[in-house]
Amino acid sequence: MANEAEETVRKLSMHKGVAGVIVVNGEGIPIKTTLDNHVSVQYAGLMTSLVDKAKAVVRDLDPSNDLTFLRIRSRKSEVMVAPDKEFILIVVQNPVE
Amino acid sequence: MAPKKKDIGAASRAKIGDDEALDWLKPRTLIKPDDQEDVPEADLEEEVGRILTTINSQWIADEVAYHYGKGMFVTKPKPTFGKAYPLYIHQGTAIRKDSDEAKAQIAAGYGMVGFDDAGPKRVKIKKTKTEEEEEEEPEPDQPAADEAKGEDDHAAEEEKPAEPEPEKGAAEEQKPGEEGEATEEKGEGEVGEEAQEVEQEEDDNLDQILAESFVIKPRVKKLANQFNFCERAALTYNYPRRSVDTQTVPPPRANYGATALQCIIFDYYQEDYARKMKEKEDEKPKRLRKKKAKHAKTEQQIHDEKLAQRIREAWAILERLVNQNIYDDIAQDYRYWDDPSDEFREGMGSLLPLWKFQFDPMRSHAVCDVQWNPHYQDLFAVAYGSLDFTCQQKVGCLCLYSIKNPAYPEYAVITESPVICLDVYKEIPYLICVGLYDGNVCVYNAQLSLESQYQYKSNSVRDKHSNIVWEIRWGRRLIDGEPSFFSISGDGRVVQWAVMPGELQATTIITLTSNVPPIPGPDGTMLTVNSCGSCICFHPEKTEIFMVGTEDGMIHTCSLKYNRNYVRSIQGHHMPVYRINYNKYNNSIYASCSGDWRVKIWEDGRDEPLFMFELGSPVGDVKWAPYSSTVFAACTADGKVYVYDLNVDKYRPICVQAVVSKKTKKLSRLDFNSKLPVIVCGDTKGTCHVLKLSPNLRVMCKPPKKAQGIDQRTLQIMKLDKLLSLVRDPPFQTGVVDEKFEDD
Repeated sequence: MANEAEETVRKLSMHKGVAGVIVVNGEGIPIKTTLDNHVSVQYAGLMTSLVDKAKAVVRDLDPSNDLTFLRIRSRKSEVMVAPDKEFILIVVQNPVE
Repeated sequence: MAPKKKDIGAASRAKIGDDEALDWLKPRTLIKPDDQEDVPEADLEEEVGRILTTINSQWIADEVAYHYGKGMFVTKPKPTFGKAYPLYIHQGTAIRKDSDEAKAQIAAGYGMVGFDDAGPKRVKIKKTKTEEEEEEEPEPDQPAADEAKGEDDHAAEEEKPAEPEPEKGAAEEQKPGEEGEATEEKGEGEVGEEAQEVEQEEDDNLDQILAESFVIKPRVKKLANQFNFCERAALTYNYPRRSVDTQTVPPPRANYGATALQCIIFDYYQEDYARKMKEKEDEKPKRLRKKKAKHAKTEQQIHDEKLAQRIREAWAILERLVNQNIYDDIAQDYRYWDDPSDEFREGMGSLLPLWKFQFDPMRSHAVCDVQWNPHYQDLFAVAYGSLDFTCQQKVGCLCLYSIKNPAYPEYAVITESPVICLDVYKEIPYLICVGLYDGNVCVYNAQLSLESQYQYKSNSVRDKHSNIVWEIRWGRRLIDGEPSFFSISGDGRVVQWAVMPGELQATTIITLTSNVPPIPGPDGTMLTVNSCGSCICFHPEKTEIFMVGTEDGMIHTCSLKYNRNYVRSIQGHHMPVYRINYNKYNNSIYASCSGDWRVKIWEDGRDEPLFMFELGSPVGDVKWAPYSSTVFAACTADGKVYVYDLNVDKYRPICVQAVVSKKTKKLSRLDFNSKLPVIVCGDTKGTCHVLKLSPNLRVMCKPPKKAQGIDQRTLQIMKLDKLLSLVRDPPFQTGVVDEKFEDD
């Protein structure tokens, strides 16, 4: 399991344009990252609250629905977030071009 | 008093008997002695008034008691006043002059004392004494009486046992009459002395009483009158009031805040529902639960597995997102870009290269087989092996790629030997059988994790192939319902494999014989040489008919029912036949390709091909297009893909495109996607190219104006039939076709 995760993170971070991969645990603490520590912490903290909010939006509209993924496209980069009860996966990618 | 009592008792008893309220009592009959006097009812009912008299009715005038000392009856001493009670006793100071006492006093000289001299003092004393007595008299009177009475009673009581019973009764009965007699008797029997004695005693007694009254007086307590109720109140001690205060430690407090969103409420309801369901489950008999518990994993394990699965899925999707960003332009092309130049090139098309799929560990391997998944249109399976037989690879690989993720295979499993061929099971699209370079066949289950490797392998099976497995095809299910597949190998045998639970079972269907006469072996024995099979193809409808291509270029039509002879046999090519492929619309038309650079289109039953195309290089693969009855594609060793549309051009390909550089790479295999307008082809350096067919390569039939409602399939069949009729009619001449290809 640990190896698998390690492998996946390595694989993902090798993709073109991927700036960083962060694995955040349920408490919002980055447990695995390819970015700087403080950047990771910042991402983790901000994303956790954003995910909570986004989840609340989706769930409130339809309680049987759930948030599965979150893509934030910004001018400089794209942040892809896979939220879950027990973890949050964050990938930061600088789009090609 | 006894008779009175008795009367009263009888009366009361009668009353009780009469009383209605007491009729719950057992009715009782009074037991009477036989000799009881019969008293008339009126007498019983008579009221007897109680009269207080001065005469003590209890008093017995002359009581006698037996004196043991004297041995005779003596009269008991009794108070002289007998019937009367002294109510007031006053002791005077005067004494008789002629009494002994007076005489003694006179003798002593007291008598001479003058009244004046001694009187006052004495009088005073007397007075005080009398005063005292007077004062006290009312009080001691009663106790004295009581005492006397008590004594009397006592005496009576004492007396009673001494006297014989009847005597007593008689005495009592006759009391009023006999009293006088008794006194008479007394007077007669007992002398004056006795009377004197009695008197004296009486006096003594009186004195005693008085003395007692004096002495005892202060101590005498008033006896409670037991006939009068006396109310007595007592006040208990009241404890003084006190107020005591204690203060407990205040309970810990915490502030809690939460937002009650609709979804949170919903979640709690769900949880509650789940819990209730579980409780219901727990109520089931234990036996049932135990059974379940045996198979069930622990909660933690389930949770971990689910979590791992969720993480895996999340990663997979994230990877796809990343890839989508990276290959955004390709995805756009794949979906929307159609070569605009097609409009101006009538009858010519092009292929647009889209993604390239590579698996890093397999860079030096060749793609030996490639096949789209019949169920998932974006998924294809790739067999990594090696076609360089002088320098074989040690391992092979089976990969599943999705066009959603060109960077990495969805599923990759390393095999012990290079993989030469594969086939995806149509019914169960995650079951893939592969043929290996070492002659083994395996079945992989793509649903299982990578650790479990293959699900079946022919390693331990007898009669497995002893040469490279060139092609493998799933067949029909067996009678028992087990899936089966067929493999053809370089050892010249076609073997049917039954996928039994836990094992594979091999059945040799046919052994390919060759025309070569037996060759003498080194020790002189004659060895028959089998021809080497190189490809196999099943008839789309007649499942027992299949065609086998061999390395010496023969194409044999065989049947599962005959394992000795071929149904038909034609010399199709001069080099190994690499692929035979049935037309998707017409079951009698098939294409074959070979290392002799040629692609031939055959019709069942004809010895000569309908079409023959020379591509200038060994042709690795040929496939009919699924969308058109007249389109097929072939790939060659010089890295080109040829697409033909016989309807458009019977002699030339409508598209020739170099996909890889021919110096370093060769194209080995290709496959049409069944739904999307793309083909995938593999090269010898482990890359798979996905190409998009330009609009000219996938023109659909336009229904004729007369019959608009005809569906595409019928139109395609009609199109092919029309074409065939053109080809069949004139006698086919091989030379003509060959010439047409010179300018390519």
